[in-house]
Amino acid sequence: MARILIVEDDDHIRSALRLMFEGEGFDVDDASSGEVGVALFNRLASDVAIVDVMLPGITGFETCRALRSSSDVPIVIVSARDETADVVLGLESGADDYVTKPFVPAELLARVRAHLRRRPSPTHAFTMGRLQVIPDEGVVRHDDGTELHLTSTEFRLLTDLASVNGKVLSREDLLERVWGYDYFGDSRLVDVHIRRLRMKIEPDPANPSFLVTVRGAGYKLVL
Amino acid sequence: MHRRSLRLRLLTTFGVGALLLSGVFAILTYISVQRLLVDNQQQTDLRETFANAALVRSTLYSSPPALGALLNSIEAATNSSVLVHTHHQWLSTSHGAATTDVSSEIVHLVDTGKTLHQTLSINGQLFFVVGVPIPAVETQVFEVFQLDRLERSLQLLARSLALGALATSLIGVGGGLWVSRRAVRPLLNVSSAAAAIADGELTTRLLVGQADQEVQQLTESFNTMVTRLVTRMERDARFASDVSHELRSPLTTLTTTVSILQQHRDELSPVGRESLDLLAADLSIFQSLVDDLLEIARSDAGSLAHVIETVPAAELVRQSSRRVAQRLGLAETPVEVSEAASRAHVGVDRRRFERVMANLIANADHYAGGATAVRVDADDGEVSIDVDDAGPGVPLEERESIFQRFFRGRAAHDRGLARGTGLGLALVSDHVAAFGGTITAEDSPEGGARFHITLPRRHEVDE
Repeated sequence: MARILIVEDDDHIRSALRLMFEGEGFDVDDASSGEVGVALFNRLASDVAIVDVMLPGITGFETCRALRSSSDVPIVIVSARDETADVVLGLESGADDYVTKPFVPAELLARVRAHLRRRPSPTHAFTMGRLQVIPDEGVVRHDDGTELHLTSTEFRLLTDLASVNGKVLSREDLLERVWGYDYFGDSRLVDVHIRRLRMKIEPDPANPSFLVTVRGAGYKLVL
Repeated sequence: MHRRSLRLRLLTTFGVGALLLSGVFAILTYISVQRLLVDNQQQTDLRETFANAALVRSTLYSSPPALGALLNSIEAATNSSVLVHTHHQWLSTSHGAATTDVSSEIVHLVDTGKTLHQTLSINGQLFFVVGVPIPAVETQVFEVFQLDRLERSLQLLARSLALGALATSLIGVGGGLWVSRRAVRPLLNVSSAAAAIADGELTTRLLVGQADQEVQQLTESFNTMVTRLVTRMERDARFASDVSHELRSPLTTLTTTVSILQQHRDELSPVGRESLDLLAADLSIFQSLVDDLLEIARSDAGSLAHVIETVPAAELVRQSSRRVAQRLGLAETPVEVSEAASRAHVGVDRRRFERVMANLIANADHYAGGATAVRVDADDGEVSIDVDDAGPGVPLEERESIFQRFFRGRAAHDRGLARGTGLGLALVSDHVAAFGGTITAEDSPEGGARFHITLPRRHEVDE
């Protein structure tokens, strides 16, 4: 059974989320601050984390960064703020997803499940400049043998774009394929993740040569 | 009543004023100069005639036959004709004025011993006649002066004065132009600033510069007024946003626990189940209300948070309506894109545009049993998006007020209050306006309502 970490300082919301996820069969750990959350996470090896933004002590964004530094598991940020600047900040701090309060409980549940289900898209191994991508093993290697760290979301994004053989995928296509949303996804999710992925795989992230933007249409992978 | 432009009025006032003034001056000048010149001329002529009469008299005394030669020599020296009437007979030079020109009444008058001078009009030409009696020899001397030279001078004067008046009027118009431009410029500045503020550019202020004192005062008052207004608006917007933020935490707990309760619905008694359903229904309305309120508070707070992208209109509308349908659990509304619209682009914030489509489609679902079609069309300047339904339509008198906040039309009352938040269409209208577009409620071809959105067409720019 999946193990979920909930970092939320509001007692009522935390209890309600615990009840909901336990009811859905999750093993739930909860923390009322970022510090406690990071400690629990490192000890208990959670499969997924839900992090509130407004926390006493270190913020949700900082918590996210701390979690991301040691793990590639999906992190969902829950926030009362949904302006683009906040969403981008949250995603830049390493989160895979961003849900605004008050959320529809079924939607949060569906998103968490979609993240847990996600596997790399089935595609052949391919090379991209000096990088070799091996979907079956879930790794990206430099030609000198060192491994490049991609989160599961980034890996899925890359392999999905590779699996359509250079065709353009719109933001909405990518939301459906990578995040598994068949409803109101947020195209900002795609943009921020593409940017983060470029930072990792592109020789010059400002002038991408592999992960190319097609204006008004979406993104494509040029190999 | 249609008012003429202030500038035009200033211009006309200055032009007509200058024309009147210079005209009056020109006429007065003409009259006095003419009088002066004529008087002068007459004085000279009178003196000349007396001198000539004295010559005539001494010649008549000494040697009357020499009179003809004398008259000839006088006429050669002056520009006049001398006529001598002696013993009821005319003596005159051959080329002088006709003796008939001097009427018998004049001759008779002078014969009585009076000196006479008079202006005569002969064949349309003006002459000045002076008559001097020499009673001792029963002779009258008449001298007829041509006035054409004087007349030519006066004509020249009149022409120069008229030209001067015309030039002055033109200068007046020019001055009017300059003054009106100067006077109207602050007004134009204020009106363009006000328009910018009305368009949501709340940081617009008038420049406090080297303007005149009165204008400076206007500028300062205007700026103070705008600052106060903006502060007030920001406070209002922040209040609504703060309230909805504070409501979010308890709402989150409520929706989560209600959804858990719904999972355990079967374990509840019938009374418990019914109460839970009521709670769930109202909670979802409450949640939409807080959502809408927050969104509207943010759109009031300004367009800072908008992320405007240039996107293909057809793709945008297709995708938003598909996702809205999926999200609301409704059948997909067919989207018809005209040939012209298939290549058109618009500038929108995608999230807010989806909100627009969601609210319109949900609205059609509530009041008209669902949207029948979404139509996209375009011309050179605009892209239009119509959301049609086959319901009862929007009554004429509600077609504007329906976009006001918390407006409850007849349809809402008929349907009961528990359906919408009363903010949906207001939000739609705010968002569309933020994209530089408009929305109106009309009749759909199916006889229901049509919500007609127009957005400025954008040209795709290269990155």
